[in-house]
Amino acid sequence: MFVQILFGLSALLTISCVIGVVATRNIMHSCVFLLGTLLGVAGLYATLGADFVAVTQIMVYVGGVVILMLFAVMLTGGKDFVSKAQNLLGLAPTMGNKWTYSLAGLVALVFVLTNVKLLSNIITDAGPKTFGNEMPSTVSQLGHLLVKDHVLAFELSSVLLLGALVGAAIIARPKKKQ
Amino acid sequence: MNQTIVSYLSKYEFYKTLLDLFGGNESLLAFVIYLIAALVVILVCATIGGFGTYAERKISADLQARMGPNRVGPYGLLQVLADGIKMITKEDIMPFAADKFLFYLAPLLALVGVFATLAVVPWSSGFALTDLNVGVFYLIAISSLVGLGIFLGGYASNSKWSMLGGMRGASQIISYEIPVTLSVLAIVLMAGGMSFGTIVGQQKGLPFNWYLFHNPFTFIGFFVYFTGALAETNRAPFDLPEAESELVSGYHTEYTGMRFGFFALAEYIEIFVVCGVAAALFLGGSNLPININIDILPLQFVEIIIFITKTLLLYYVVIWIRWTLPRLRVDQLMSICWKYLTPIAIFNLVGCAIWMVAFNGRSLADLIIGH
Amino acid sequence: MISLASYLVISLILFVAGITVMVARKNLVAILLGVELVLNAAALNFVAYSRYLANNLDGHIFSLFIIVIAASEAAVGLAIVIRFFQIKDTIHVDEATQLRN
Repeated sequence: MFVQILFGLSALLTISCVIGVVATRNIMHSCVFLLGTLLGVAGLYATLGADFVAVTQIMVYVGGVVILMLFAVMLTGGKDFVSKAQNLLGLAPTMGNKWTYSLAGLVALVFVLTNVKLLSNIITDAGPKTFGNEMPSTVSQLGHLLVKDHVLAFELSSVLLLGALVGAAIIARPKKKQ
Repeated sequence: MNQTIVSYLSKYEFYKTLLDLFGGNESLLAFVIYLIAALVVILVCATIGGFGTYAERKISADLQARMGPNRVGPYGLLQVLADGIKMITKEDIMPFAADKFLFYLAPLLALVGVFATLAVVPWSSGFALTDLNVGVFYLIAISSLVGLGIFLGGYASNSKWSMLGGMRGASQIISYEIPVTLSVLAIVLMAGGMSFGTIVGQQKGLPFNWYLFHNPFTFIGFFVYFTGALAETNRAPFDLPEAESELVSGYHTEYTGMRFGFFALAEYIEIFVVCGVAAALFLGGSNLPININIDILPLQFVEIIIFITKTLLLYYVVIWIRWTLPRLRVDQLMSICWKYLTPIAIFNLVGCAIWMVAFNGRSLADLIIGH
Repeated sequence: MISLASYLVISLILFVAGITVMVARKNLVAILLGVELVLNAAALNFVAYSRYLANNLDGHIFSLFIIVIAASEAAVGLAIVIRFFQIKDTIHVDEATQLRN
């Protein structure tokens, strides 16, 4: 029963914060609503029994990405950024109006309903296969998988992170005065 | 499933009588027990946070050869109450051009980030509110919310000092997370699990079994962790974001009354949590000095007292350091983190791994005594 | 019992919101925000399928790598945004019209 309550709360947090991200004009508020969304998604991971992924999500996104975005907004004067858009949803007039969005929404709805109908057998019959209804810890199993089956991806991602670190530091350096 | 306070209490007789009282509804009983335990933990920590301010004033007075507050109650103990009443009754001012939503949100983020970490603190071997399998990792991850609260508080006040204090505070917190996480990772490597129950359970017995004395690398790791944790809680000598003489109180300049109280309370409770984690990881927190294998309820209370004693000793050391060392400049602070503590922590981690392989995980005391 | 469909609906909402933010905002940082939302939706899908339809933890591994790669991509993207600001003095997307300076 606790799992259902946690699921309800996390889903509520995620969806309300996602509406906040889309609807706010102020970029700082959008970043804070993104933080709420990511915390909600971490709660959803917890209801799926993915404890390690949930805590990694909190650590990387909350402790890293959101703060990075906030710093980037501060350093680029984004808080004074005013969009000159005029119409619904704050879009510029060349980005479409309510008719195109309604048509696109209708197409998307038809597409989704078709897919759901095609996959309905799989989705309704699906019960939790991994571990059944309990949720044991995934940490040791993930550890084994990372260094046995997926060791190549693990090592490549560490090289990728090194490249991203060095690259970001070099790109963001101030221009040298000649 | 990990062990929680409910699953621990369900081993005793009075649990069955309570279950009959609730009409056999296990979930409701579990909810009530969690609620009461959480309220007790929050009240105790808030009291410790409040008395932390009193302890700081008294200890700093002792270090500076004067008497601290001694008028308000016996030995000045009611000073906490007086400060609390003063803080609550102050006028709640918000700057005119401040960002309302973020101004209200920032102290809440800081406080939530600290209170959420209280769920995994191992008060005793049975009474941790919940013994998550990823407990240590969860604690470090949730403490990053405090840094976010500081940054947003500094930004939302719309004042130059607050902005500077907020940015410095946030960059300090995210930088020092790295040596802290690396030294904790060395302990996780040696214990074989991330849950506090596993880590504390490996340190049973005489103080030689503590991870502090296990090998020279964890000895260094303790000091790296302690320094990094001091910096994470914005505590002197790393307290530039909130320094009184530099930035007119930094990121909480514009906060008055209870909002400022939230920031201050978050800082003091975070110091308590960090000292508690240091006691649990390195000093064998809540383990009795002798290896008794009986499991009765009064023994749990003795373990709680042992854990709190070790934590308060470290708290005293934190306060002592604040009033002894001068403050560091922000570039010195950053260079200490990136040029000194992080390489030492990485070397530490590699050293612990090599020790585990070379000596098969036996501690230094084990090798010397030789059985 | 929570069905698989609820997780798929939530990840669908996240995905659509991410696409909307990417398409409709004019601020470079906001576009990166939308990318983060899209990646989170995909990762949630992987973990949900791993629990309900598969007998192993491959979905969790995938989600871990998605989180790692999303973080590094956000870092590099924001470094590019900062560089762009140093050159053009604004982060409005319409200013990014030329390939060289």
